[in-house]
Amino acid sequence: MPLRLSIISLTLVLSGCALDGRQSFMDPRGEVAWLQYDLFMLTVYVTFGIFIAVGGTLLWTVWRYRERVDDDPNEHPPQSHGNPLVEFVLIAISIGLLVIIAIPTVSAIVYTHGMPDEPDSLLGSYYHGDMSDGAEEEVLTIYAYGWQWWFSFEYPQLGIVTGNELAIPKGKVVRFELRSKDVIHSFWVPKLAGKVDMIPGRNNWMWLRGDEAGYFFGQCAEYCGESHAYMQFRVEVMEDDDFAEWVEQQRQTPPPPQEESWQDFVVLAARAPEKLVDEPAVRGAALFYGRGACIQCHAIKGTPAAGLLGPDLTTVASRKSIAAGWMEHHNDDFTINPERQYENFYRWIRESEKIKPGNLMYHVSGGMRDINLSDQDCHDLAAFMMTLRPDSL
Amino acid sequence: MSTATSTAPLGAEKADENRSLIGLRRPDHTTGLADWLTTVDHKKIAIMYAIFSLAFLVIGGIEALIIRAQLAVAENQLITAEVYNQLFTMHGTTMVFLAVMPLSAAFFNYLVPLQIGARDVAFPRLNSFSLWTFVAGAIILNISWLFQAANLLGWFNPIDGRSDIVPAVGWFGYAPYTDTAYSGIGTDFWILGLQVLGIGSLAAAFNFIVTIFNMRAPGMLMMRLPVFTWMTLITSFLIIFAFPPLTVALGELMFDRYFGTSFFRVEGGGQPILWQHLFWIFGHPEVYILILPAMGIISEILPVFSRKPLFGYSLIIFSGAVIGFLGFAVWSHHMFTTGLGTVGTAAFSLLTMAIAVPTGVKIFNWIGTLWGGKIRFDVPMIYGLGFIWMFMMGGFSGIMHSSAPADSQQHDTYFVVAHFHYVLIGGSILALLAGLYFWFPKVTGRMWQGKLGHWSAIVIVIGLNWTFFPMHYLGMAGMPRRTHTYLEGTGWQALNFAVTIGAFILAVGILMFLIDMLRTYRKGVPAGNDPWNARTLEWSIPSPPPVHNFDRTPVVKARDAFWLHKFGTVDQKIGSVDPGAHGVHMPSKSWMPLLTSSGFLVFGIAMAMKSAGVPLMGYLAITGLSITLIGIYLWALEGPGGYHLHPEGEHRPH
Repeated sequence: MPLRLSIISLTLVLSGCALDGRQSFMDPRGEVAWLQYDLFMLTVYVTFGIFIAVGGTLLWTVWRYRERVDDDPNEHPPQSHGNPLVEFVLIAISIGLLVIIAIPTVSAIVYTHGMPDEPDSLLGSYYHGDMSDGAEEEVLTIYAYGWQWWFSFEYPQLGIVTGNELAIPKGKVVRFELRSKDVIHSFWVPKLAGKVDMIPGRNNWMWLRGDEAGYFFGQCAEYCGESHAYMQFRVEVMEDDDFAEWVEQQRQTPPPPQEESWQDFVVLAARAPEKLVDEPAVRGAALFYGRGACIQCHAIKGTPAAGLLGPDLTTVASRKSIAAGWMEHHNDDFTINPERQYENFYRWIRESEKIKPGNLMYHVSGGMRDINLSDQDCHDLAAFMMTLRPDSL
Repeated sequence: MSTATSTAPLGAEKADENRSLIGLRRPDHTTGLADWLTTVDHKKIAIMYAIFSLAFLVIGGIEALIIRAQLAVAENQLITAEVYNQLFTMHGTTMVFLAVMPLSAAFFNYLVPLQIGARDVAFPRLNSFSLWTFVAGAIILNISWLFQAANLLGWFNPIDGRSDIVPAVGWFGYAPYTDTAYSGIGTDFWILGLQVLGIGSLAAAFNFIVTIFNMRAPGMLMMRLPVFTWMTLITSFLIIFAFPPLTVALGELMFDRYFGTSFFRVEGGGQPILWQHLFWIFGHPEVYILILPAMGIISEILPVFSRKPLFGYSLIIFSGAVIGFLGFAVWSHHMFTTGLGTVGTAAFSLLTMAIAVPTGVKIFNWIGTLWGGKIRFDVPMIYGLGFIWMFMMGGFSGIMHSSAPADSQQHDTYFVVAHFHYVLIGGSILALLAGLYFWFPKVTGRMWQGKLGHWSAIVIVIGLNWTFFPMHYLGMAGMPRRTHTYLEGTGWQALNFAVTIGAFILAVGILMFLIDMLRTYRKGVPAGNDPWNARTLEWSIPSPPPVHNFDRTPVVKARDAFWLHKFGTVDQKIGSVDPGAHGVHMPSKSWMPLLTSSGFLVFGIAMAMKSAGVPLMGYLAITGLSITLIGIYLWALEGPGGYHLHPEGEHRPH
């Protein structure tokens, strides 16, 4: 048994570095996650108590009633068959201990399954920009869609769409409508709230409240196919002012790399490509709207690119990761590292199948598998991607 | 009974009694391969179940080791995502359906007739059919590896062009990922393999229920049955109630994939969530199907090595029945994150907590059995004590899951992986290994020498804890299940590396166990009839038992019949029934169960090949089903057969 103790203490030491990790549910930063953490710790304390009592009794019994060397092997111990009183008492104690867990469990289920009534969380009380009619009296509602293998997020009240990274205001209840576009996925940001599945044909929802500003890591938690492990996302919890600014940024259309309007640029690229400036970002944009066929699936708001099958790229260069969170390019303080960002764009365009096997961008008919992009083309597209960011960044 | 059987002279001792109405002869090989293929002897069938399931335990274990090697370091490229997904799918399916269930079935087969004082099970040919149907299902599932290898070599290409030929949908196969739009012919192998395995399990379950109700020796009242036999009975009822929902679900899924129905297809108005309800209303009782036989084994071993009766026999049986009953009322706790709503979530949370009570009762009673005894630490007892300890720890994390809000964080993380490996390895497997050691001298007549058995138990328990205890922390640190790799920034690397080392320690322990078994089989010393000074009927006959089990049907006077026969009062001694002039009536061997089962094998593989676009496979599938039908028809026509043995009577208990 000392061996077992040393194993347990070894794992405790080893895990010291893991439990404050970026996806740890032992480090809650939101209302719902706190509630779940408290409940979890209650079950840990109760079962640890039982463990000490029952495990201790077991050890003591085995030690106390072992056969001794000087015992007569032909002499049998008393042949007792049971004791109803002991059984009854132990069953009663078990039920009592379970009731200790059951009461807060049921209360937490009721609490998390209804929208909390918090006037501060109504959109009108903290956000003063444009929003849809009547949204002032509602909490912020985000439609989260699971796709193989990435997430898209729509803010219908605010008219913005983003992919794989979203922002929510600090200390405000936010409602998520969880939908799937193909197979079952699961929406999970451990530090903010436990998971709820995104099931096709089913309208699931959840609410959460981020109580601390910060950058939080989420991941799909339901097996959804080949690249399930690569399906991650990020949630940025922001102060009210930062959130308002973020919303404004998401609404902007990045300027075209040449010409006054995107319309003019696309026409020029199609009809008179020789008039394009010979710069990587310009060549990349021409590829994006032309031979690359990227606009079949991707959208850049306010431009002719209005594809719906891939992530919205309007502000993709303001995100701190691509490929659904698998390719990260943030510094330790969560600012963007442009060199790594460029490298990630380039590698993703160049070898997406190697990075995320089975991905639709590569496999869809007319996708990357069918288009011969040269190394230079990939650099050009990456350069264009780098321009897709709000002016203020 | 049909007229065919009544015209066949059952009792008359004629030279041609094995000849049926249509002239078929029942085989009578006593040695060689044909003997094993045609045998209806429950003991030989049990040995084959054990050998096959141990082989699959090794195969599933190797799959697990590859999984652990891949996860040992962050962003590892050892195997691809596709192969990883196939490995965890096949590991889970293999361990549940091809290792633990058939190993339990091996114990049912060997022990139930011996423990109730019967000659064989009620339906010996059906028993053989269950075995060969299990083998057919196992081959259908695992032959996908060969087809995948052929695909790599360019010899075989499915029409959909997909290379995922080994199942990769997880052992739970959640819709709509199992649809043709998302997964290839691996899913067909999986559906057909499980469907065939289910047929074998159902046939076996009916057989054991009838056997236990009808074949008990005189005086073997229900409340005198050994606990293992009781748990077999409860498990058999769980199987006949739990497998039909799976059969229906698999059938619907097959229709969706082959015939364009829309049970689970959203585009056609179907509901993916329906699959989860059907699967888990099978799947949760299934976990009790895996653990109740283990509890039965432990309830046999602890009294023997404590040398006192089981504490609270009736309550242990009653709590086993309550676990079985409640097992059908908690399936949605696998679905706490699917949006069950307030009432559903609360109800399934509370019912799940309730099931902790009968489980706790069993642990209390096992400790009560040890209390006041004189405990001997032979190998089965080391494994048995390891079982109580590890199963208890798995139970604690089970209580943690029962609180739905806390579970929404644990669900689909390594915390859950840790939990069910504690109850499946620490619970089921440790108990089954304890049982293998306990009854090995009975089955082979040989007893091990040396300490390798003790050491195997210790190494397995260390490896188990080393592997699965840190997984709790990985789960808390947010590592999801079924992900083939992880980013270095997650901080999961150190623990994953430790876990992988543990997995190899566990593998060494299992290897030590296998070596000890083989060594004992070859060089063990004679064990004698009753090496443990045990309590139940099977120890009253020679080791290994003769083909007819009991020379004279015993007459049981009390619970723990053989113990009281040895140490009780005169009127507690086991009596016997004079076999009379007929002797012991024995069942004849038959080829028909093997033929019937082989039809399933042809059908399953042909259906998967049809899905792959191989020509004429639809006809081959129909041929397969025809073989099964012909097998059943000839089975009915070959007559009951049977012969009589006249044992000398020197082995009768005295």
